[in-house]
Amino acid sequence: MFQSIELKQGIHLHIRKTDQFKTVNFSLKFKQILSEKSAAQRSVLANVLLHSNKKYPSNPAFRSALDELYGTSMYMDSSKKGNEHIITFMAESVNDQYLSSNGVLNQVIDLFKTVLFNPNADHHEFKDSIVKREKDSVIQRIESLYDDKTRYAQHRLIELLRPNHPASIGANGTIEEVESVTSKSLWEAYHQMLHEDELDIYIVGDVDMDEMTEKMKTLFPLEGRTLANKQEMEFNDVNNSNSSHVKEVQNMKQGKLHIGFETPITFTHPKFPIMQITNGIFGGYPHAKLFMNVREKESLAYYVSSSFSSSYGLVFVMAGIDASNEEKAIKLIDDQLEAMKNGEITQMEIDQTIAMLKNQLKEALDSARGQIEIFDQYKDLGEAFTVENWFSKWESVGKEDIQEMAKTIDKKMVYFLSGKEELAHEGTSL
Amino acid sequence: MKELHFKQIDEKMYHEQMDNGLDVYILPKKGFSKTFVTFTTKYGSIDNTFTPMGQNDVVNVPDGIAHFLEHKMFEKEDGDVFQKFSGFGASANAFTSFTRTAYLFSSTNHLYENTETLLNFVQEPYFTASTVEKEKGIIGQEITMYDDLPDWRLYFGTIDNMYHNHPVKIDIAGTIESIDKITAEHLYTCYETFYHPSNMLMFVVGAVNPEEMMAYIKENQSKKEFVEPSTINRVFEDEPSDVAVKENTLEMDVQKPKVYVGLKAKETTLQGEEMLKHELAVQLSLELAFGRASDFYHEAYEQGWIDESYSFDFTLEKGFGFAIIGSDTSTPEALVTAIKKQLTKIEEKWPFGLSDLDRVRKKKIGFFLRALNSVEYIANQFTRYAFNDMNLFDAVPVLEKMTVSDLQNAFASIQGESQQTVFTIQPKKDQAKK
Repeated sequence: MFQSIELKQGIHLHIRKTDQFKTVNFSLKFKQILSEKSAAQRSVLANVLLHSNKKYPSNPAFRSALDELYGTSMYMDSSKKGNEHIITFMAESVNDQYLSSNGVLNQVIDLFKTVLFNPNADHHEFKDSIVKREKDSVIQRIESLYDDKTRYAQHRLIELLRPNHPASIGANGTIEEVESVTSKSLWEAYHQMLHEDELDIYIVGDVDMDEMTEKMKTLFPLEGRTLANKQEMEFNDVNNSNSSHVKEVQNMKQGKLHIGFETPITFTHPKFPIMQITNGIFGGYPHAKLFMNVREKESLAYYVSSSFSSSYGLVFVMAGIDASNEEKAIKLIDDQLEAMKNGEITQMEIDQTIAMLKNQLKEALDSARGQIEIFDQYKDLGEAFTVENWFSKWESVGKEDIQEMAKTIDKKMVYFLSGKEELAHEGTSL
Repeated sequence: MKELHFKQIDEKMYHEQMDNGLDVYILPKKGFSKTFVTFTTKYGSIDNTFTPMGQNDVVNVPDGIAHFLEHKMFEKEDGDVFQKFSGFGASANAFTSFTRTAYLFSSTNHLYENTETLLNFVQEPYFTASTVEKEKGIIGQEITMYDDLPDWRLYFGTIDNMYHNHPVKIDIAGTIESIDKITAEHLYTCYETFYHPSNMLMFVVGAVNPEEMMAYIKENQSKKEFVEPSTINRVFEDEPSDVAVKENTLEMDVQKPKVYVGLKAKETTLQGEEMLKHELAVQLSLELAFGRASDFYHEAYEQGWIDESYSFDFTLEKGFGFAIIGSDTSTPEALVTAIKKQLTKIEEKWPFGLSDLDRVRKKKIGFFLRALNSVEYIANQFTRYAFNDMNLFDAVPVLEKMTVSDLQNAFASIQGESQQTVFTIQPKKDQAKK
């Protein structure tokens, strides 16, 4: 798929030459240990770098330059995976062959270099006014979570289930940590990103491999860096065998039911493929037990599904229901998992789920972003990624494997957010 | 089967009309392992007053029925259609918009089995009193979910402000009360009127052999009986040109206010290439006036009147059209004033020249070329364009011919104070402080 080379210690270049797309995609992933502080500093930093630079000192000038390059999109994403914080800078530009003007690709690469190495800063400090503005933007991004009740409820569930743990640290940090960012601290974060982060550079498109490799070497005149050994996360088990039930109230109509389960299985565990199938049968697809029973049979919900968070060994169920049906829905969801633990799993369910997993993986590879994200995740497993390899892992899974896997899924927390009137004055109760 | 070659973008598309009137388009994409197939009827939430097939009198059906019908297509006597798609590894879905109902799947295997499932489930209606009743709980929860989404309420509140009579103002999913009135008979009436193959379009894009696929669809269709196609009589009340309500506010449990300025379009009768040119010209004008490189955006962002949620958009269909500009903002008044000021400035003296046009033209051409990487975009947008007699692949040539005065003329459609409305969502006053 990708051809990878080490440019310097800790800096890897991965190129995939293909004529599948009309564009060339660049993705630069800077990875650092996750903390609320690092997440906050780095989110503001990414915003500041994409605001303007020495060559285009105002945002309109920078945006106009991108427009002139046939609407090349350049954006960033602040995310996390396990206990890593990742800043991704992405650019997508139309391949020169479809345009009347030439050399767009080279200009995009130059612009990337400007954004990363020629920021709007003097004397080792970013401009105060820009820092202040972008701090506000990141704070607004964090605050907007509250307006999306499904995302908010999911966030609350994880916060309650895994306090002070990478699982509950937001990719943008906290409002307090963002507020404490200064022009000076940001410069330190910038310096650290360039010189200490693990860096993976991805390029997908109809490009010349050797030419692109040479260009990237010049684009990134960076020294090698020694990376700290990737630490295994601690699972700070709350040592509590009972599951908790938390209810909260806001001014809203629908009840948001979110349930959290623990499992010892994570992405790197050999049984990960079994868990993918187990989650799929439980609630991952429209043929799954949750959809067929909670929605189609009992008409309790429009959306109801389960998901497996493989970085943290957590399984989540979420459903939008009428608040008066809370107990009935919880019971029905429990029943579906219980049925799986009792081996009530048909060959049809297994076949459907494997067919869907296969389709999902192959489909994801039909976009440049999908290729990059999948390769970036699977390369950590230390084995060459091939579609056939994953197909055969799923195909070897049988009913008993799934039943045993279901038994590892342990319910820990029910979180219910609703607008139920009679609870309005009780506040949070455990 | 007709072959259409678009040299500049290096794509070939195949088209054939079936004997029953169904238009089929196939666009093979090299390098792709998935195939995306849509089967769409030109029937959406606005088609609520019409003459049913084979009858003489106009009827008015309950709000939300097109969407309800979409849901009910998936349930058959022998079970749920999703089960079939899953068995062949296909992700299936459907959506209802103002003007279209689309059924779709994507798969990387068993293409013909999945295509057959799609064609057959959409062409074999099965509605009973009990299955219709059962669905009311599910759709009720869908409506409640949307009721809690501030951005959804903001969008529909703005549209509701703009329109006096046009059914674009009703919620696509209807209300709990309106869907309660829906019966199996209603569904059959709507189905028979709007799901005739001559009112539908199938689009296949991705990994596909065009000759084989066309033959396969033809074979499937030739085995089915349909009545002779007839022209559908849709009835719309006259709609005044100006907005119905100038301003409205809704309180919700949100962190900070959200505001949209809606600009109701005067020109909503165009179809075909004229519509394509007009629509692109309005979009380019909006990009110049409100895009990220505009003086307006710069001021609004640096002053803190807008944040990353800021957006602007233009929607145009036969019979209705509007631009929407807005953002989450702690200063909704300041933002609305700035938007209106920018509009007035443009109205007084058109400020954009050829170099401005060239910049946004390049941006838009780049956007189209990038979008051609997405099979979902191609299928959905091609269908929308075709239902308005436009061709998606004409967009780049039309953009290349666009002039500054084209932009100026088109922008007039959304200019004038009588076209402007404001909708604001405010945090509830009594809500607990986080």
